[in-house]
Amino acid sequence: MSNVPLLRTERLGKTYPDGQVHALVDVTVSIRQGEYVAIMGSSGSGKSTLLNLLGALDQPTSGAVFFENQSLSVIPDLDRFRARKLGFVFQSFFLLPTLTAVENVQIPMFEGPLAVRQREAKARELLGLVGMSHRVNHRPGQLSVGERQRIAIARALANDPVLLLADEPTGNLDSRTAGEVLDLFAHLHRDKGMTIVMVTHGQEVAERAERLIRMRDGRVWS
Amino acid sequence: MRFYQFILKNVLQRKARSALTMIGVAIAVTAVVALVGIADGFQRSFRELYENRGVDLLVVRAGSSERLSSSIPQQVGEQIRGLPGVRAVSPGLMDVVSFEEANLTSVPLQGWAADSFLFQGLKILSGRRLEADDDRGVMLGMVLAKNLGKKSGDTLEIANREFAIIGIYESFNTFENGSAVMLIHSLQTLMDRPNQVTGFQVVLDDAPNKKELIERVRREINGLRSSSGQPWGIEAMPTADYVNSTSQIRMAQAMAWTTSAIALVIGAVGVLNTMIMSVFERTREIGILRAIGWRKSRVVRLILYESLLLSIIGAVVGIGAAVVLTRALTWWPLVSGFIKGDVAPIVMVQGFFIALAVGLLGGAYPAYRGAHLLPTEALRHE
Repeated sequence: MSNVPLLRTERLGKTYPDGQVHALVDVTVSIRQGEYVAIMGSSGSGKSTLLNLLGALDQPTSGAVFFENQSLSVIPDLDRFRARKLGFVFQSFFLLPTLTAVENVQIPMFEGPLAVRQREAKARELLGLVGMSHRVNHRPGQLSVGERQRIAIARALANDPVLLLADEPTGNLDSRTAGEVLDLFAHLHRDKGMTIVMVTHGQEVAERAERLIRMRDGRVWS
Repeated sequence: MRFYQFILKNVLQRKARSALTMIGVAIAVTAVVALVGIADGFQRSFRELYENRGVDLLVVRAGSSERLSSSIPQQVGEQIRGLPGVRAVSPGLMDVVSFEEANLTSVPLQGWAADSFLFQGLKILSGRRLEADDDRGVMLGMVLAKNLGKKSGDTLEIANREFAIIGIYESFNTFENGSAVMLIHSLQTLMDRPNQVTGFQVVLDDAPNKKELIERVRREINGLRSSSGQPWGIEAMPTADYVNSTSQIRMAQAMAWTTSAIALVIGAVGVLNTMIMSVFERTREIGILRAIGWRKSRVVRLILYESLLLSIIGAVVGIGAAVVLTRALTWWPLVSGFIKGDVAPIVMVQGFFIALAVGLLGGAYPAYRGAHLLPTEALRHE
């Protein structure tokens, strides 16, 4: 693991205009390349807001997010940044229901450099990596929730991201399936050197990460 | 997977709505292509009526907006015939009559001189052509004869007078196939317009610079005067100018485009409605696409291409329906004498591009909305 911070925030604040809700207050965190970090907190603690800001899905009200020492605010094309550098895994998987597994995995690749055949080959390879080779032509509705999340993880890896951001990735899974997904994260981290930031409210899930950042009332607690 | 396959899947996923939108566009395109096609066919038919006979100039009453009621003394024809460069002049009187029992209205009735070159464009299918002494004779175009259920040798009552059907003809021109022809003096008597004609069709000599000749003769005809030195008040026009300025044609075109515009607005609103609903339903899906790095421009393309795809299918179906409809209309006696039955390729191309415009217009706002959804808000959408 490198000591160079891949991602860091400086006094990050987020206030929603409706009702002056301070979702984040002066949050400063640093995540090194190759680190596996869990951000834990109860509902409303600001953990998902933090993840959205780390993933350039939202703009902070104050402070800044730095990725590889460059402020996200000066990156001209954040869509391209997300497509090339980040992979997202969501609690509700967010797979496209009309597409098969192998097609879902290819969706982010439209913004990448690969040709059609290469896209499909890579999608199959990634489905193999997450243990879903036998389900490539199945649609999400034909798969179990655990299988769906594996496909969502394969999709997150489509453009070889530097950072994997996971928002409650086991929130909709039973404990056995959740364990399998966390095993997969551990494998990606350990064997592929993937940097992972995972938001969760479960202590057991959080303990699978190397480091834990606790949040409460929009602040980093420990 | 290719981008277009993704678009195709999205369209096919919502089969019923896609089909309804496509039908909406198809109806709009059918209206445009059929109406504009009929108006265009009407104009082409009218133009070929003169061009195929080599008519260079048409002489009508100057300033007369209603050409059918144009009235010129027949003797002007002799003056025109005497002008240098004029090869032939044919006076023509035209009126319209109705045959209520056959449910036919506005049937053109032409009065020609027995020696007119206009008869050369008619192929006699049965009977014979009119001769100089056929005062109570009439020839019927094949479409009119069919619609009236008449054959040569029968009689036909026109304006309360009985005429013998001397012959049935086929013209190169749809308009003439739906018309009847009698001798000019018979029509003058029948319509109580003695020695009056609607106009003259003038054929000029071949010349190396025909345009120049047409222009010269045109000026000379416009300057003709009566024996008392008074101008005749007539106007000679090149064929194309005459056809394009004919009020009936201009009205038909204006009607066609006005009706088409209404159909197009309805079509565009249909596409707009579908695509807005589609974007609303797929808010979260668009949020996902944005979150995983799809640029706004790709989301715009996704929605616009879907809307264009629906419009293109609608255009193809609509053009096909318009061609069938226009062809079918030629079987309807009421209009069969006016409609050519074919749709010009240019009108189909216009219909196609108009459908594309409908797709773009209908898809533009939904595409804008879709592209500007905030990923975080879109992902929260239920």
